[in-house]
Amino acid sequence: MSLLDIDDLSVDYRTAAGSLRAVDHVSLRVESGEAVGIVGESGCGKTSLGLSIPMLLPDNAAIASGSITLQGRSLVGLSESELNALRWTSVAFIFQGAMNALNPVQRVDRQILEAITAHDKNASRDESYQRVLELLDLVGIAPSRAKSYPHEFSGGMRQRAMIAMALACRPSLLIADEPTTALDVISQAQILNLLASLRRSNSLSVIMISHDLSAIKRVCDRIIVMYAGVIVESGSTEQVLGRHGELASAQHPYTHALIRAHPDLRGERVLAEGLAGHPPDLSTTIVGCRFADRCPSVMDLCRRVEPPVVAVESGHVARCHLAVRAK
Amino acid sequence: MTVERGGNANVLEVRDLVVRFAGRGRGRRRSVVTAVDGVSFDIARGEIVALVGESGCGKSTIALSVMRLIEPTSGRILSGGEDLATLHGHALRRARRRIQMIFQDPFGSLNARQTVRQTVAEPLVIHHLGATVGERDAMVMDALDLAHLRPPERLAEVYPHELSGGQRQRVAIASAMVMRPELVIADEPVSMLDVSARAGILRLMMDLRERLGTSYLFITHDLAIAWVVADRIAVLYLGRIVEIGPAAELVERPVHPYTQALLHVSSGDDQLAGEVDGGVLAGETPSAANVPSGCRFHPRCPRYVALGRPVACTSEDPQLHNVGRTPVNLGEHRAACHFTDEETP
Repeated sequence: MSLLDIDDLSVDYRTAAGSLRAVDHVSLRVESGEAVGIVGESGCGKTSLGLSIPMLLPDNAAIASGSITLQGRSLVGLSESELNALRWTSVAFIFQGAMNALNPVQRVDRQILEAITAHDKNASRDESYQRVLELLDLVGIAPSRAKSYPHEFSGGMRQRAMIAMALACRPSLLIADEPTTALDVISQAQILNLLASLRRSNSLSVIMISHDLSAIKRVCDRIIVMYAGVIVESGSTEQVLGRHGELASAQHPYTHALIRAHPDLRGERVLAEGLAGHPPDLSTTIVGCRFADRCPSVMDLCRRVEPPVVAVESGHVARCHLAVRAK
Repeated sequence: MTVERGGNANVLEVRDLVVRFAGRGRGRRRSVVTAVDGVSFDIARGEIVALVGESGCGKSTIALSVMRLIEPTSGRILSGGEDLATLHGHALRRARRRIQMIFQDPFGSLNARQTVRQTVAEPLVIHHLGATVGERDAMVMDALDLAHLRPPERLAEVYPHELSGGQRQRVAIASAMVMRPELVIADEPVSMLDVSARAGILRLMMDLRERLGTSYLFITHDLAIAWVVADRIAVLYLGRIVEIGPAAELVERPVHPYTQALLHVSSGDDQLAGEVDGGVLAGETPSAANVPSGCRFHPRCPRYVALGRPVACTSEDPQLHNVGRTPVNLGEHRAACHFTDEETP
């Protein structure tokens, strides 16, 4: 049994312009101890997919179809109090920009302590505080800094404190939405190394949502590429991005565009072509491939027929007419 | 385009720029934060110079000082035969026409209640440019077209919320270019954009340089982007330039241990090179309120440890010196490290 099993999930938003399908029949499994990266540009549905797992979608969004099963338990339809019992303890969520969500007038140790005591009423104060120090140590913050206020921390340290808080109730699944955006390269590397090591040493499953493929590559075993609400490619990190120093083996032209978008310091000193245009309007019915209007390899067929999901090799699939099935 | 260097060809010469801020505490115990500590560099006409470094290294403070949005404590900022650091009132406003700025956040930097036309026309109004409404409007349309906001007639009427992040940044570029500046200061212009939109904005900036000879001071934390966009890169650490040189050479043959560490991290090699960069990745970014003695990088420096903690590193502040192999007219490659001849382990 997988830790998390999302089957045929669709998420709709009610907007002034009508209903909009942000996540369109997405299926996804996360095994215990596995790290899965969801990549795509703004509006591709990656955050909605992430938020739907702990049922934290905004009020104007609703799950239109499908199921979410966490540790064998179906989450769709649970009451708010049943969900609250699962949040933090089974699944913890680090929101985008969460490092700015720390309470500015409360010391960091108190905030983490609160997260522990709110979920474990029986824990003694001393034990709980010991746990706070352990957590801070785990994320590389010295005990001497525990009594700091958030403004006394750098951005990277605040993000590490948020990770410590998310781990307070020993969740099995950590969902991190853009955990390194707005941090500089060194802090980014520190956070990514931390996530990678936490997952190895604490058998934690991680879903990392990011627009940054290189960040996902450092932490995740598997990559899911989303475009306009659907998964266009998924596979192991090696299958999608290639092994170190090799050419990427990605099959979908969108994945290729994402890979090329950031210059590689070990590659050629040229600025890649950007991806012109915008994703399609999700409130309208889309005929054919969603990426057709921006695709450099577009064919006639693509505008008429929705591409099938092609199994390139075991565990690697791409939703493209041009994807080649391995022999 | 070929960049001509030296003398009158420079659009900006920054000399010994120092910027200090009052820190915490009161009276004598009040601390002083030296955000920029003696920085000098030039930008030639049509040249793109990148300032690269971690948050808190002073790169944005340098940008804001050049714009005089922050008062420099000392040093000279020479442009068009004037020292911007000493100008006031009308003269400063006139000098500012030559230098425009693009900010990081295209969601926060545009007025949500103004149409694109109003936003782009605003600098013209402030500087009393364009004799008639018609003339001003023609300048606005021209700037929108330059920024590839096409068709300009339609895009002029929209509000920021109707635009994507990339398009908003194009509006910011149009309202900088409407002044036909000699120098554009771009502070992390693509870091908040989707990766797919980044290349378009960077290409646009490079295209404007080709067509109009615009120079750029390009501020970024991303060494890879600096490498493909800039002619020269200056690496900043705690308010100092620790290495500066032609972009290709600096990336191919970095000399300062900090540049080497940044390069490892930026190319995703840090897990492999974890031992080498352990000092940089493990250490907390030091604060400009408490600059280490001698070489300010020594507490995080792998070379310092490898060489058996030489006294020079903790007692003498290293100065920039030539370490280059390229001809001087391509811009010298200089680094501030006592042991630039040593290989990092």
